[in-house]
Amino acid sequence: MSDPDNTILFDSVKGIQLEGEFEGSIITRCKDDNNSIIFSDNLKISNSEGIFIVNGFRVGFELDYNKKSAFSRKIEAQWYEDFESIEYSILISEDIMQIYGEGQFSDAYPYTLNKLNTATLYFDDYGHKINHLDFFKGEMLKNPIALVGNGVIVADRVVIDERIDPVFYDCLIVGRDENENLSVSFEPYMNVKKSLTHVKYIIILGIEELKL
Amino acid sequence: MILYENNSARLLNIIKWGNNPFKKFVSTSEIKEELDFVKSREGLINRIKTIVKEDRNFILPVIGEVGSGKTHLYWALKNSLYYYNTFYISLESVYKKFFYNIYSEFIEKLEIAPLKFVVNQLCENWGALERKYGFFQVVDIEKIKKTAINQLSAKYSEIEPEILKDAITGITTHQLDPYKKIEAERWLLGKLLDAKELSILNITHDLHKGKNAYVLLRLFIENSKLGTILFIDDFEKIVGISNPQDDLVEEVFDPSWLYGAERSPNDIASEKIFSKITQLQNIDGLRVIITLKSIDSLEQIKKKYQDIDSELLPPIKEPIFLENFSEEDIFELYKSTMRNFFNNIECNEFTKEFENNYFPLNSTILKNVFRQAHGNPRVIIKTLIRIFNEIIEDEEDLETILKNYENLTTN
Repeated sequence: MSDPDNTILFDSVKGIQLEGEFEGSIITRCKDDNNSIIFSDNLKISNSEGIFIVNGFRVGFELDYNKKSAFSRKIEAQWYEDFESIEYSILISEDIMQIYGEGQFSDAYPYTLNKLNTATLYFDDYGHKINHLDFFKGEMLKNPIALVGNGVIVADRVVIDERIDPVFYDCLIVGRDENENLSVSFEPYMNVKKSLTHVKYIIILGIEELKL
Repeated sequence: MILYENNSARLLNIIKWGNNPFKKFVSTSEIKEELDFVKSREGLINRIKTIVKEDRNFILPVIGEVGSGKTHLYWALKNSLYYYNTFYISLESVYKKFFYNIYSEFIEKLEIAPLKFVVNQLCENWGALERKYGFFQVVDIEKIKKTAINQLSAKYSEIEPEILKDAITGITTHQLDPYKKIEAERWLLGKLLDAKELSILNITHDLHKGKNAYVLLRLFIENSKLGTILFIDDFEKIVGISNPQDDLVEEVFDPSWLYGAERSPNDIASEKIFSKITQLQNIDGLRVIITLKSIDSLEQIKKKYQDIDSELLPPIKEPIFLENFSEEDIFELYKSTMRNFFNNIECNEFTKEFENNYFPLNSTILKNVFRQAHGNPRVIIKTLIRIFNEIIEDEEDLETILKNYENLTTN
């Protein structure tokens, strides 16, 4: 299900830049080596000062002693003065978020694994590869974030099926269409064949870090 | 192979196998009533519907003599006000554990899916669906409980804090703690729980105890998207309980020896139930319909309200009277019952065939039955059952049986 009521606040490709203060569910994709994504419930855009986020949550990869590892970090308040460091910011419509919320609140899967700390489930980058899919085969993990091709997947849970492919349930997908226009859709489930698609990473968010 | 071309003989044969189209003359809350109200009573249903739509809190007395169809009214309302949760209680059956029994009836009629919806709604109001960073629902049950207590403690100030805390814990645990959900659901459904189960839930008592059931009933009704109608049948029993005993009746055991001359155990019981009923009036969105046999009972009840608290009187509406059948109604009743019967025996072709001649009876008999019953629906149905039983059991032919009833005179 896609909804045209999403608001593109900033898009470096299409040259969109809405000035003002916005509230709601906002995904900001950064243009950095870490492929990081920022989740926030607010965002301010000023032509002169840049993009300002208070109380956001940044997810991505960082180099730690020659080894790349997943991180999630609370952002107290951050100015991104240089628009160059942001690829896009999109405010997701409340209708889509409502459906997404219902999925999150579902009691149909009481035994979903909650990880305490943020960790990598899968990572495929030049020279760096992490793959724990086999270890979690048949398990259901809560709060996965994935970067597949050029799209971001934010799902309620991910199941590793018998072919060791991840299946995302109740997921928001943010990506670009063939005309490079940004779009958001909600899918009840999405099967990602890692052999056929370009899965860059799957991070499982730690519940303790979300509580901070 | 026998081919029946004579539908009258065929129908008579089916009835003679022991199939009486008229089976019950007393409506109960347990067995669903399939027959709709007769047309002459549609106005009454519409009046009640208007009152229900216009007001959220009231007591509406419906007065009708014995057998006039007061319990049938419950089914007629339930069928036509299907977007309300209408539930039935008889004061006799909820005499003990008043709130618990009412809660059980309420839950049974509400069913599990709407119940889950209300529980979800309550938790949402208490901040359970708050999205951290705009996306992630991070459940912090203790924080949610604290918010709930802050929100409710003023409104529910007359409720003991311990009881309110139990209700909030039960609801939040059911919705937010998957590992204790089964126990919490049993608690919500009013099951008896042992000490171990209660300690898992961190709850002091199950719903059988004290006002726990009342608090949940109030929370669910006040937060339900469906409106709620409580139908209390034979409400004058509350007056009957408290009526003074005849002084002339000699009693082997005089309760005054134990309880003093002023108040009998019946008085105490009556007062308790009455006080509980008045507490139900505190529930926002609870519409109460009571049935009574006479206007005198209503006056006595009003007086009782006045004695306790005159402020309780305004929500009592002007009574609605359930009149006896008119002559046309008996024909409508007969036709609709026979239609249902033909449908049940899978002979719908009879409906058209016998629509106007009322076979195996006739219009003269129906008129006689109406006159003899003075229009009382229960007496009418009882008589019709008797006639059909005679058709089934007597060896005399149909004409002879019918002749007896055609010559029936009004008493």
